[in-house]
Amino acid sequence: MNKSAHAFVNQVLIGTLMMICFSGSLGLGTVWLRQQISLEANRNKQFEARLAEVNRRLDETAAAIAAAQSPEALKRRNDEWHLDLVPPREPQIVRVAGDVEQRLTAKNRARLFAGEGAATVTAVVYRPEGGR
Amino acid sequence: MSRGFANYRIALVVVAILTSFAGVGARLVSLHVLQREKFLSYIEKAREEIIVQNARRGDILDAHGSLLATSRPLIVLGADPQAMRREDQAKWPALARLLGLSPAELEKKFAEKKHSAAETDEADGDAPSPDAADGHEVRWVKLGDGITESTYDQIKALNVRGIYGNRIYARAYPQNELAAHVLGYVNGEGEPVTGLERYLDFYLRGQNGWLETERDGLRRELAQFRSRDVAPADGYDAVLSIDASVQNMVEQELKLIADKYHPAKATIIVSDLRPDHAGFLLALGNWPTFNPNDYGHAGLAAQRNIAITDQYEPGSTFKIVAASAALNDGLVTPASRFDCTLESVEYKGSIRRLPREDASDHFDHPLSVAEIIAKSSNKGAAQLAMLLGDQKFYDYVRAFGFGQLTGFPAGGEVDGELAPPSKWDGLTITRIPMGQSIGVTPMQMHCAMGVIASGGYLLRPQLVKEIRDADGSVVYRFAPVVKRRVLSESTARTMAHLLEGVAMTDGSGTAPEAAIPGFDVAGKTGTAQKLVPVVDAKGRSVLRYSDRHHVGSFVGFFPATNPQVAITVIVDDADASVPGGVAYGHIVAAPSFKRLGEQLIPYLNIQPPAAPVRPQFAMEGGAQ
Repeated sequence: MNKSAHAFVNQVLIGTLMMICFSGSLGLGTVWLRQQISLEANRNKQFEARLAEVNRRLDETAAAIAAAQSPEALKRRNDEWHLDLVPPREPQIVRVAGDVEQRLTAKNRARLFAGEGAATVTAVVYRPEGGR
Repeated sequence: MSRGFANYRIALVVVAILTSFAGVGARLVSLHVLQREKFLSYIEKAREEIIVQNARRGDILDAHGSLLATSRPLIVLGADPQAMRREDQAKWPALARLLGLSPAELEKKFAEKKHSAAETDEADGDAPSPDAADGHEVRWVKLGDGITESTYDQIKALNVRGIYGNRIYARAYPQNELAAHVLGYVNGEGEPVTGLERYLDFYLRGQNGWLETERDGLRRELAQFRSRDVAPADGYDAVLSIDASVQNMVEQELKLIADKYHPAKATIIVSDLRPDHAGFLLALGNWPTFNPNDYGHAGLAAQRNIAITDQYEPGSTFKIVAASAALNDGLVTPASRFDCTLESVEYKGSIRRLPREDASDHFDHPLSVAEIIAKSSNKGAAQLAMLLGDQKFYDYVRAFGFGQLTGFPAGGEVDGELAPPSKWDGLTITRIPMGQSIGVTPMQMHCAMGVIASGGYLLRPQLVKEIRDADGSVVYRFAPVVKRRVLSESTARTMAHLLEGVAMTDGSGTAPEAAIPGFDVAGKTGTAQKLVPVVDAKGRSVLRYSDRHHVGSFVGFFPATNPQVAITVIVDDADASVPGGVAYGHIVAAPSFKRLGEQLIPYLNIQPPAAPVRPQFAMEGGAQ
């Protein structure tokens, strides 16, 4: 075999080895990539499962809270714990006319300065319709 | 070793490698090109799968956001008797306790290792063969179908082999019977059967999503091969105008009526009259009722929403129609008087017999229109209708919404019975005004009273205020719907004032029991005889008005001068439990109106018409 023939065989050999290395690394790369995709997909699946789990727990808890807050359940608790809570009746209700804030402010002011006005007593006026 | 031999070996290796590659290539071509379709179809069949992702059904909430109907996860628990281990036997009592079964019951389930021969044949679709030996192995025994997540966690913690759970989303009604007839229910197959569950199914149902994916040989999903992932769109939530607290008041009142009077059935409707809320129902309850969580054990009669599905003769409550119509057409004034002692009157050229008054009513003077209403005179109502004439009176009856559907959203509504004037006999014009010869539903009667309360408008009764998406954003908001104007505002105001006379406590009205101290109540009682089948002289079964079976009712609203809430109470056939044997509306229904009204005043912050004048003195000035 002459020199040029050797060189050709060597080139083919090297080329083949390089191709094997290249395709091998390409294959390995693909496998690695697929593995990563698989891992990521499984991780996403687990997150989804956890999210679904949390949503299920939320739904169950919401239903349980609603059941515990139902008028029937609250009434039962009222009886069990002897709270004797009852809704207010009309005679117990005093409706406040006018601005509530001003009324409370005036009341507070009157309490704060109660001592100062003790010396001067103004005339008392009786009004048949009531009110202050 | 000669160089030629080495070169020969190298060439051989190269050829071998290339041949191998060629072989692999050929095989790949064969698999991926030549036999592609064959293998692809096989793989698709074996590995590809479409997984449906169920959308969550939307919730139904009351006006304040309390859950009335929701979807919650439940676990259907089962066991594979073949997989049970002897060493787990010590855990069985704990498992039985969690499942609410006795240990013996649980052991019996685990002992079912094989189906009976008959069961096996049945499953195979064959007739049971007497000579069949043993059946198939049992791989699934149901242990329970309503297991909660928390219980399932405890079961899993026991680590009993062979126990499996399948998750399902089941419809739950946390408030049990509350508003059962309004809500309806969803059956075991997930199909809405009645009520708003059915009516709002389009909004509540949502849209299922799906996954196109692949599974491995052990049927595990290979998430990396998901080719399409369409997320489910959860159903919308519906916010009702129903207030759970008001609904509870109504249902407690119905229970009270049921315990006290043992009626065949009873209905209470409460609706809002406040501006921007007019026509929306705050509560609707019926007796008998049922628990939608346990609909399988409720009879069909208990499931019926009798407020819209059952019709009755309204009796005196219907007198509001003739009186309002005559006033609206200017034919009479509240002071116009009618002789209510007459036995008959001439109408359209012939003598018409007027209906009898109640036995207790003996009027010694002609009654004004105001008195006809307050004292509920049958003869007076008949004369008012005759003033209008057949057609005009019929038109008003229709205008008030009778003989047609109210448009109530939850289905099953009937339109009642109202014959056109062409089909009336000589007495019909005297009977319909007093609420006979006509069939109405409680909802129609409630809406008719609403015409007077709302200033002359017929409103559509509504239950749904808003539709919200899963994020809570409002998708659609419902507003009050005015169907038509029936009366002028002044006529409605006059009628409201006249109806105040019914609940007067001075004895001038028929229902002082409905009066609420400090508030002006407008309303009307009704005591309608029921048509019951009797056998006549010829042995035929005919319908006759009974003296022992009545429908007692009270329909009203308050405050009369500034209506905030309308209440209808209808009690059917409570006569047997009432002293005297007649279930008058003022006995069985008016007290319920009052009790409900008194509870609603603080709850809805209904203000009295004017501040009550209290005889008191207050000190002004001076030192404190």
